[in-house]
Amino acid sequence: MARFVDLAFSAILLAGLYATMAYGLGLIYGVLRVVNLAHGGVIMAGAYIGWVLHERAGLDPYLSIPIVLVACFAIGIVLYRLLVRHLPRGAAGGPASLLLLFGVWLVLRNAAYLIFTGDDQAIRTSYSTRALPVLGSYVSVNRLAVLGIAMVTPVLLHWLLRRSYVGKAIRAVAQNPDSCTLAGIDVERIYTLTFGIGTALAGLAGLLSATIFAFNPTFGSAELLKAFVVVVLGGLGSIYGMAVAALIVAVVEVFAILVLPSYLTSAVGFVMLVLVLIFRPGGLFGQRVLG
Amino acid sequence: MTLPTATLRALARPAPAAFAVVVAALAILPVAFDMSSYSHNLLTLTFLTVTGALAWNWMGGFVGQVSFGHAALFGIGGFVAARLVLDAHLPPPLAWVTGAVAAGIVSLGAHPMLRLRGPYFSIATIGVGEASRLLFTYWESFTGGASGLSLPIDTDLKHQLYWWGLGVCAAAAVASVAIRRSSLGLQLLAIKADVEAAGDVGVSATFYQDLVVVMSGAVVGLTGGMYASYFSFIEPQDMFGFDRSIALVLTCVIGGVGTVLGPALGAVVLVLLRENLLASYPQLYLGLYGLLLIFIILFEPLGLTGLLLRVGRLVRRR
Repeated sequence: MARFVDLAFSAILLAGLYATMAYGLGLIYGVLRVVNLAHGGVIMAGAYIGWVLHERAGLDPYLSIPIVLVACFAIGIVLYRLLVRHLPRGAAGGPASLLLLFGVWLVLRNAAYLIFTGDDQAIRTSYSTRALPVLGSYVSVNRLAVLGIAMVTPVLLHWLLRRSYVGKAIRAVAQNPDSCTLAGIDVERIYTLTFGIGTALAGLAGLLSATIFAFNPTFGSAELLKAFVVVVLGGLGSIYGMAVAALIVAVVEVFAILVLPSYLTSAVGFVMLVLVLIFRPGGLFGQRVLG
Repeated sequence: MTLPTATLRALARPAPAAFAVVVAALAILPVAFDMSSYSHNLLTLTFLTVTGALAWNWMGGFVGQVSFGHAALFGIGGFVAARLVLDAHLPPPLAWVTGAVAAGIVSLGAHPMLRLRGPYFSIATIGVGEASRLLFTYWESFTGGASGLSLPIDTDLKHQLYWWGLGVCAAAAVASVAIRRSSLGLQLLAIKADVEAAGDVGVSATFYQDLVVVMSGAVVGLTGGMYASYFSFIEPQDMFGFDRSIALVLTCVIGGVGTVLGPALGAVVLVLLRENLLASYPQLYLGLYGLLLIFIILFEPLGLTGLLLRVGRLVRRR
């Protein structure tokens, strides 16, 4: 029973992280129709920015959230203005945008390797090892905080997209960029903003992961693929759909340890990716992501 | 990445005579000159790389399905061949061919993925590649797990692999040209340009993609087997590694996706780069490949081949 509760907690926590990783990927895909393969690289970058702030400036990882958000937003803006803007959109740009952003990812990875070497790092705080008793099991304070942030993020994002003027413009551009131009929306600006918000979310996910897991420059590749499963499964219709999908992915992955040898559990995410793409490309809720 | 017909024709038919001369020259090179074993081995590896890249290109260039998972087939070809040499004492060439057949059959497993297009196919192949790496590393009785398999060291065979490599490389190049010129090549182009329109004119995307994926997988598997004999030691983390898949993609993209000359050009450049520049700065290779990729996609989608064509046009205009 205690083991079950343990697993359930880690599944819920993982779901929060996966969902945070997926929002940015889904947002960028939904609006720009570009699969951002550099997403994994930005997740890794977010982790390292948080780590540097903690190691060098002694800043608490939770206090560095705004800095990481702004820094990764800036990375996104630069990437968009410098590179992504020049790519053909939609199906025609498929392989080209994929390869270009893959190149960006390789460069980010290599840069991190040169600056920080390939050693594993982790953000260790004074409360990293503190835990609270919950339902006969212990849950680390840190994990609860991560979960809290992972739950606030979709609410804020939902509000941004539904209620704010910019959010409405983003959704309008996702539906029909040409009409938006006619309505006086600066489509390029919205694209830039969307890309920035997407990468900022990736950075946040990276920072949150870094408080729990060890990471190195290759961090982010498995995460990117899982985020992609979540996006496909959850569809682009709603933020909350993605959250549900993230929970499903996390539960399958965590509970796989009960039936699979531990070495193979890391393959579960990859197998799920392939199965979802083959059998459920339309997502769980019928809002097709795939064209 | 569409090309004017004249360019296509020029790329699809590099003068056969020139090709024959190059192959013949390479074949007598080690005999005519006292080649160091370093350059001998380097050329052998280059031939294998070019062969793999040409085969990847049938899928990634001709059909336009960019695979990030071909390492799985390279690994299967390699391990099946190695097992046959070790357990059944098969002569290596026979083992390579059997490995190739095995890889070809396994490639058919990609069938349900082939209706995915563009980025979805590519991302699914990342999943397949990584899942098979973990699976085959776990399957110790077959692959030896993390400690890998050692084959009997055979220096004569390693020396001969130069000509075996040159042979399969030339065959792959001829096959590429033959596919491009045949109606099959046109049908693949049609699928690449527009699957639905291809279907409307009677080109079955399902059948032709299956066909090409098997051909491509078998040849990549063949190079896997030859690679196993060349190194006498293989381990699944390397054979099935993501880096191997990326290397195939990069070779073709840098040389020129969808052309015949491109993969060969790309492989030669990458091998030269790796041996000369990156031997002194090994920590830079990923970033350098990334930068090359970015520049090529932004400025010259046809890679080095496109660059050559551009230079050719300039020269002609003078």
